[in-house]
Amino acid sequence: MRLPKFEYLGPKTVQEACSLLAQHGDKAKVMAGGTDVLNVMKERKIRPEYLIGLRAISDLSYIKADADGIKIGALTTLTDLANSAVVKEKFPCLAEVPMKMATVQIRNMGTIGGNLCNAAPSADTAPILICLGAKAKIAGPKGERVVALEDFFTGPGKTVLGKGELLVEIQVPNQPAKTAGAYLKMSRVSVDLAIVGVGVVVTREGDSCKDIKITLGAVAPTPIRAKKAEAVVKGKKIDDALLEEAGKIASQEAKPIDDVRGSAFYRTEIVKVYTKRAIKQAMEQAK
Amino acid sequence: MTQAQQVDRKLSPAAGFWLRNREVLKKEFSVIGTRVPRIESKNKVTGEARYAADMKFPGMLYGKILRSPYAHAKIISIDTSKAEKLPGVKAVVTGKDTIGARYGLWRLREETMDEQGLALDKVRYVGDEVAAVAAIDEDTAIEALDLIDVKYDVLPALLTPEDAVKDGAPEIHEGIKNNISVNRRIEVGNVDTAWDKCDFVMSDTFKTQVVQHVPMENLASVSIFDSTGKLTVYTSTQSAYFVQCLLAMALGMKEGDIRIIRTFTGGGFGCKLELMGDAFCSALLSKVTGKPVRIAYTRRETFVNSRQKTSMKMDVKVGVKKDGKIHAVEFSTTLDGGAHHSYNVTTTMITGILGTLPYRIPNYRYNGRHVYTNLPVTGAMRGHGAMQPVFALDHMIDLIAKQIGVDPAAMRIMNATQPGDVKIPNICHVSSCGLQEAIAGSAERMNWREKYGKLPDGHGLGIGSYGFFCGALYNYFNTKRPYAECWVRVNQDGTVHIFTLMAEIGQGCDTVISMIVAEVLGVGLDAVTIKSDDTGIVTGDTGAFSSRTTMMAGNAAKAAAEDARRQLFIAAGAKLGLKVQDAFDIKDGNIFIVRTGESMTIAEAAMAHQNANKGAPVLGRGIFTPSSHLQEGTVVSPTWSFGSQVLEVKVDKETGQVSVLNSATAHDCGIALNPLAVEGQLEGSIHMALGYALTEICKFDDKGYMINANFQDYKILSALDMPPVDSIVIDTDDIHGPFGGKEAGEGLTIPTAPAIANAIYDAVGVSIKSLPITPEKILRALKEKEGK
Ligand SMILES: Cc1cc2nc3c(=O)[nH]c(=O)nc-3n(C[C@H](O)[C@H](O)[C@H](O)COP(=O)(O)OP(=O)(O)OC[C@H]3O[C@@H](n4cnc5c(N)ncnc54)[C@H](O)[C@@H]3O)c2cc1C
Repeated sequence: MRLPKFEYLGPKTVQEACSLLAQHGDKAKVMAGGTDVLNVMKERKIRPEYLIGLRAISDLSYIKADADGIKIGALTTLTDLANSAVVKEKFPCLAEVPMKMATVQIRNMGTIGGNLCNAAPSADTAPILICLGAKAKIAGPKGERVVALEDFFTGPGKTVLGKGELLVEIQVPNQPAKTAGAYLKMSRVSVDLAIVGVGVVVTREGDSCKDIKITLGAVAPTPIRAKKAEAVVKGKKIDDALLEEAGKIASQEAKPIDDVRGSAFYRTEIVKVYTKRAIKQAMEQAK
Repeated sequence: MTQAQQVDRKLSPAAGFWLRNREVLKKEFSVIGTRVPRIESKNKVTGEARYAADMKFPGMLYGKILRSPYAHAKIISIDTSKAEKLPGVKAVVTGKDTIGARYGLWRLREETMDEQGLALDKVRYVGDEVAAVAAIDEDTAIEALDLIDVKYDVLPALLTPEDAVKDGAPEIHEGIKNNISVNRRIEVGNVDTAWDKCDFVMSDTFKTQVVQHVPMENLASVSIFDSTGKLTVYTSTQSAYFVQCLLAMALGMKEGDIRIIRTFTGGGFGCKLELMGDAFCSALLSKVTGKPVRIAYTRRETFVNSRQKTSMKMDVKVGVKKDGKIHAVEFSTTLDGGAHHSYNVTTTMITGILGTLPYRIPNYRYNGRHVYTNLPVTGAMRGHGAMQPVFALDHMIDLIAKQIGVDPAAMRIMNATQPGDVKIPNICHVSSCGLQEAIAGSAERMNWREKYGKLPDGHGLGIGSYGFFCGALYNYFNTKRPYAECWVRVNQDGTVHIFTLMAEIGQGCDTVISMIVAEVLGVGLDAVTIKSDDTGIVTGDTGAFSSRTTMMAGNAAKAAAEDARRQLFIAAGAKLGLKVQDAFDIKDGNIFIVRTGESMTIAEAAMAHQNANKGAPVLGRGIFTPSSHLQEGTVVSPTWSFGSQVLEVKVDKETGQVSVLNSATAHDCGIALNPLAVEGQLEGSIHMALGYALTEICKFDDKGYMINANFQDYKILSALDMPPVDSIVIDTDDIHGPFGGKEAGEGLTIPTAPAIANAIYDAVGVSIKSLPITPEKILRALKEKEGK
């Protein structure tokens, strides 16, 4: 399929991009790697008059560590995220995620910002980032603001980004000692979007789970926290019965639909199993 | 196959089975049997190969097709005036601009011809061709489609055979009652009295799904009507000949006034085997505009508007003796044909043949019926007419084996078809057959005896067996020319040019035909050039389908090369002074007298021939019409390939996910003329057939719109999903095949679905009787089994 006609704008700075966005409003669309946006344009689901490419903005692709944690520029590619030494060292559960996504070629083009702003319920980078308590730094005509990533998504394809706003940075805070995570993804074949994604981050104390966050992907309009399941596990000694229980409760918190990738029934079952397995895996990593 | 395995195959008398092949392996060939990479691979990997959609001509226009949004509707009116006025639009055509001719593959039975290039009065599926536009670029053509105003009277859509056959259902094609257009029956022995003599009888129902062929290259054509009124079409096709003939019917032209040039073709698998909208509409638009017109399908169009694989619902009853010997089979199937016949007139018959091929079935009844529905057209696809029935029957064997306590591999060996068997009198006679060796060989390679029934919970072994055509002989198309024709010209410089119309579509037939000719003429492959793309040169070949390339075109090429060799020998004989008692041999580019060793080069002989024949070059002609080659009665295929596959799987009992851990496949393709190609075909087959077994399915909404016509939603496997693939080549040296070769194209796709079903059954004890076998189906079955 061919792309419909559009005008390409290549701002050099974030401010320039924001003002172009504000100026053109609904007629404009942002493009980072283009691996999502160009496809929907080819299918003519959207027909922006202007495509605002972010590639020329040099200072949006970085991974920096500081006293609070790490900061990831929105234009960082999935490949760079997977290969980053500091991410591997500080948040191995995050570094593993891109390798469960797409293909080499797509990972070389696709960005973390694009994955989040595209706001697919199945976006693979979201669950683990939400569990890690990540924040999104947003730039706009009125300056910058920071929101918790958990509050970033408002529906399929929808985020809190307002007119003229861009996601510029993802901030991942340092975690307490003995903290680790796991992301399990169920898909039909190796290269596929998630039927279910389950992210878990635990802080361990002996054989107990001192703290836990569970985020479910592809089973609701946005990635969702499974807070009731978290409550069941938090502060308890982990055994098989408790894990079963947590899985069951998480599956009740999920609100999946039937779609071309999987049925609501199957998604519910997988949430049950993967929540259990992800907690177990994370607990082992957190030793 | 690695060197070590080759040695192993020759030396180890695996279960005493290789013995029959010893003779064969002693034959000395210089090209045949060597591992030759595809001769056109460099053109492809360097990007210099031009595909149909790459073709550009001065003044070329771009075409697009307007398609029906309804599954079933009458066309009330079409207003094209707005589209015609759009700047850049050069022509808009509708059914009124056609001659309204009906065409189809069964030219011998006119009543089955049910297609028209553009809809005249009615649309029959979502995507049916309604109008076409030619414009200066594709964007303008797309824009123009939106400006065509079509008024429809929407009719009830029949989306399942169950609905279509109901009394009172609307007729999708006028006059076809209950939408059942073909009925076929096969009877062998006496099924009715056979059940009493069985010790165990089992009945069940199996279903297969609609899938698409998914060739990597979408369909595309560029048509050029020149000022003399003759038409040239560059197109991506498996059969330039069928496109030529069907186009002649559809346009009311003489075949000889149409020249089809097959461009490099990026896969076909059965969906590029007929006249499709790209070729028809571009030709019509070129006629109207006098300009070259290109139409390139989108992926959605290839999914929906080429062909899909026929889904079937099959009722199967099998009766066996205590020891596992099959005594009777009754097999009834309903084919969901979609909106037109395509190949399904044939499919309805061959399903009944191919289902019986692997095993001896003394009493057999087959009933097949073809039903029209308002879905995309289904037809031939790799493993045509075999993947569906073999999935059902070969899974059933395991269900029975379990019940009566017989080892499934042993049960297969006991029942396997053998050389010389008459499967269905006058229809299916077997010449060579290495099925028993294949079953034993694949089982042995996977350590069946040590592993079967002894693997840990969740792990399982499964086996599937198959047989397939080597070129079906139905002359349904009423081919006016030989089945396969080939010319071989030997030039004065010793180079050899081959002219054939057998289509290289990625399966490697340019290579194998070149190998056959090189072997006969005693030259290296570097001396050979093959031209196989142009109906303007050689016309007599129906193309690449039904696994006919090696058997048909290979035999024709061999005959042509032998004819050329004979001419060379005569010329050399005159020069070298041949005595009556002398014989010639030809090797390494030289012709020599065996007794004296006196020799001359092939180039010299070719020159001598021309000098003696007023300058006429050495030109060998080869014709292959298999009927003259066969014992009377064997009317369907000159011979058949056979084989067997064993898979090891792991099933995650909590998620239903299946991982294929290992595989071994033993294929009897007569003599493996190019073992590298056989292995390549095997890898491709497993890739394709695992998708068929596990993930692939075309999904439609309740209006008949295909909701997953893209690679995000329709899942084929990638290299990352491939299991280890081990191949065992069983040589049986077939009397019909060129140098003893049979097919290695389609048969290999057949065993995987039943082998998967059987392996899952072995691993976790649930039997899934509908494809694809998704994790969800397994999980549901496990829950049901455990009573949860
Ligand atoms: C074959 C294939 C496989 C894929 N597999 C996966 C997978 O396994 N898992 C998965 O999650 N995804 C997958 N994807 C989707 C996609 O590749 C990822 O979501 C990728 O991260 C998107 O990044 P991008 O830079 O290409 O986004 P783009 O396409 O450039 O943008 C996506 C959306 O985000 C907006 N946007 C981008 N950057 C910003 C920004 N900084 N501020 C505001 N808005 C912005 C754009 O306007 C657009 O709406 C796959 C895609 C393909 C084609």
